[in-house]
Amino acid sequence: MSAATDYAAPALVIPAQRPWWRGRVGLVVLVVLAILIGFLGWKNTRPWPDSLVWNALPGYLDRFQTWLSDSRNAPNPSFVFDVFNGFANFLDNLVSWFTSFFDKLTWVGTTALGTLVVARFGHWKQALGVLAAFASFALIGLWEESIQTFSLMLAAVGLSLLVGMPLGVLAGRSRRFNNFITPLLDAMQIVPAFAYLMPVVILFSVGPGAAVVTTMIYAVPPAIRITALGIRGVAPNTVEAAAAMGSTRMQTILKVQLPLARRMLLLAVNQTILFALSMVVIAGLIGGPGLGDVVTNGLYSNPALALLGGLAIVIMAMALDRATESMADRTDPARRHLTDRKKRRLRLATLACTAGVGLAVGLGYAFGAGGIYSGRTAQERLLGYVQKGLDYVQNPATWIFHITEPIGNFIVAHGLTPLNSFFVETPWFVMALGLVAIALIVSGPRPAVITAVMVGTIGFIGEWATSMETFAQVLVATGMTIVFGIALGVWAGESRTVDRVLRPINDVLQTLPQLVYIIPFIYLMPVSQVPGIVASVLYAVPVVIRLVSNGIRSVSPEAVEAAGAFGATRRQVLLKVKIPLARDAIMLGVNQGVIMVLAVVVIGGLVGSGGLGYQVAQGLQRNEFGLGVVASIAILALGIALDRTTQGRARTRQERAT
Amino acid sequence: MSHQLEGRRGRWVVAAPLALAVIVALSVAGMATARTAKSCGTVTLNEQAWAGSTANTYVAKNALQMIGCKIKITQITEIPVYQAMANGKTDAVLEDWQHVDQYKQYITKQHSVVMGGSNGVTGHIGWYIPTYLMQQYPKFKTWKGLKGKESIFKSPESGSQGMFLGGDPSYVQKDQQLIKALHLNFKFVSVGAEPAQVARWSQLYRQHKPVLFYWYTPQYLNLQYKLSEVKLPKRFKGCQDDAKSGGSVAKYKCAYDHIVLNKVFSAKFAKSGSPAYKVLKRFSWSNKDQEQVAKYIAGDHLNPDKAAQKWISANKAKVNKWLGK
Repeated sequence: MSAATDYAAPALVIPAQRPWWRGRVGLVVLVVLAILIGFLGWKNTRPWPDSLVWNALPGYLDRFQTWLSDSRNAPNPSFVFDVFNGFANFLDNLVSWFTSFFDKLTWVGTTALGTLVVARFGHWKQALGVLAAFASFALIGLWEESIQTFSLMLAAVGLSLLVGMPLGVLAGRSRRFNNFITPLLDAMQIVPAFAYLMPVVILFSVGPGAAVVTTMIYAVPPAIRITALGIRGVAPNTVEAAAAMGSTRMQTILKVQLPLARRMLLLAVNQTILFALSMVVIAGLIGGPGLGDVVTNGLYSNPALALLGGLAIVIMAMALDRATESMADRTDPARRHLTDRKKRRLRLATLACTAGVGLAVGLGYAFGAGGIYSGRTAQERLLGYVQKGLDYVQNPATWIFHITEPIGNFIVAHGLTPLNSFFVETPWFVMALGLVAIALIVSGPRPAVITAVMVGTIGFIGEWATSMETFAQVLVATGMTIVFGIALGVWAGESRTVDRVLRPINDVLQTLPQLVYIIPFIYLMPVSQVPGIVASVLYAVPVVIRLVSNGIRSVSPEAVEAAGAFGATRRQVLLKVKIPLARDAIMLGVNQGVIMVLAVVVIGGLVGSGGLGYQVAQGLQRNEFGLGVVASIAILALGIALDRTTQGRARTRQERAT
Repeated sequence: MSHQLEGRRGRWVVAAPLALAVIVALSVAGMATARTAKSCGTVTLNEQAWAGSTANTYVAKNALQMIGCKIKITQITEIPVYQAMANGKTDAVLEDWQHVDQYKQYITKQHSVVMGGSNGVTGHIGWYIPTYLMQQYPKFKTWKGLKGKESIFKSPESGSQGMFLGGDPSYVQKDQQLIKALHLNFKFVSVGAEPAQVARWSQLYRQHKPVLFYWYTPQYLNLQYKLSEVKLPKRFKGCQDDAKSGGSVAKYKCAYDHIVLNKVFSAKFAKSGSPAYKVLKRFSWSNKDQEQVAKYIAGDHLNPDKAAQKWISANKAKVNKWLGK
């Protein structure tokens, strides 16, 4: 060997660009092909073996529920129930206090109070929005119901933030706490409310209290998650600088981290409101009075009224969201420098607003306006219009129907049905091994182990076939959600106009009760499964859009400017700077997308998707508590497996490092 | 800075009068509602989602108001409402479709709920097809006529089989078992909750296409659509209706039984000595009565209170009997 070659050996090793089919994508394709061979060769011959199923679980769960109810309704119940009673009574009183407070103010005073509070602490534009919202509750003829729902939401959102934000700060500061709480939050968001409605009712009885508890279970997780994300997003050197200057931990949190995370905290408030409002219908099932009942009963006997009820929910969500945003904007430290003149003006404004509310209440009493708006409303006329629209949708002779029906049939015949049989009929061990292998390739050994455990759990509790059926649909819905969500999210992050157009649409999709728009949709695509998928995509996409666009916009302007200074084109800035820097937010978006798709599996069950959603719905409605819980466990297991499989190598590495 | 302040004053000038103007306009348009309450106290009735239940609840409400009761209406779903009655948060459910498990647990074992007897309405579940189809294929009068003709009911999700459109998952049913026991070549397709199921079959009805589905009476839609029942095998002793009870399919090979719809009351309410309890205990009417009121509400979109009053004023004798006059 010559000296020259000796020298050359350790020189720079540049890895050759491998073609895609030799990378991970190729491996995944190989695994899928292997499963396909299993499917084609041994179709329908190897379902999950009965000997590997634990059948006794639903029975145990049923017995637990019976025991709980019996001991609760015994002549002398244990003092433990007194604690639950006390808490439920506290919540009941809180909600009914709000309602009767608004009642006392009369509807005129309530409108004035809402409008002027927002005008004083927020912005006049939003105040006009609030005024319009209250006016529309009156015009729609659902004033009383709207105020009941509003009171319920005030209590639920307030308590959710009270619980969620401190926990979020904790999770943002401590990786350990975050890792501990994340699976809990996943469970709270994925396990359908239908599964735990009965235990909640047994413990807290029915009424506003139980409704608030149920709403909180669903609305607290986004408050925690997004707060934590915001805290974590504060640059570590800022925190270090604060510590170096001798700030105590409390000072660092209150004066540095929270103010710098303002944007994300705002998003947390906003999402908590929207999540809470998306529970209005379910809250109605257990005695949370208000718009939820209008929607539920309307669906059975007057769909147009259900739509109006849904509309009121959406209006409330948008008004609340914009109002809180404008109030938060006013607290912006950059705008808090008060001069004496400004102070005097603000004091005057406060006085004027108080006087305005007083005047309105006085006027209300003088004209004999009660707490409930009972004057002339436009309900009849609105119902007429809506009904006309519904009649059009329901008419199979229109040209729209001739387009939508074949599309629906095509999707089912050539997309969902084959996919469904692929998942359900492939020999179970081939499918299970394949899924674990994909997790291993995409995300590494630890996620693969978790996926294996989850897949095993699904089979073990006897939900293999139903879960695979649901899995096929969830996969389609998740794929569509992620593609649309990221694309639109990035676009909205780049363009203010797009953001402005998308935002109200997102609000509508997130808060309009799904059944309200899915049932008319069934008339257009009368075939099962498709409506369920549409419902989950439409529900999940807004969250992904919001998180992604927020992430893109939160990328520090210095980084963007620096790239610009180096002569990067807009596309390069987006692809090489903004998207990589917003990776955390995009990953959270994907993760939330998966969770949201799973969160509406039950709605799918109510509109013909079958599978696990159908079982969960039956669990509540046919008193099959055990069955409902088992199906929910399967949904949760699917969710965790999907989440771990899609987390990718980077997050795995990150988790190992801490 | 000063520019900003000017801006704010400008906004006030716009916002304040606008807000006041709207408020004044609304207050002139609105009127107060006065409420009165007498000795009977407040009675809480529970209304469920289907129109028949709304009819019961509002007719009972308006009758009770005639003797000075104040009525509160809760809208809690079927199973949790038992817990509500056990706690005394709801006093009465006027139409219960035989929730046998709940009877056992809450009525027999806990004594927290009491049985109130029939509300006079009988429910019936069965297999239905549109009448136009029955006229075209008179053989469909009984299930035997369906044999060999299943493919008429083909749909995108049933493949080569015919589609049987299942009922709301929350209702008592055994159709999967029946299809197996009768050796019919149907695929059981569930499209979910009742509004979704109605959407599906009514769309096919409008297109004059064949459809076979789970349906029941009394139902206000029966006044709107012409439907015919397909006869199922005769009932035999020990024949089961609710697939929940499990076992072999042979146990289910019969028509659904006629169901007595019950009133159930909170034990606390029953013991309270309220005059309302006696009235509700006597409350009973016919399928026809209920369907009529349900149609006022769901078909003609009349306000439930007005619908109830309309029926009451036409049926004074019945109502007076409930009221003990």
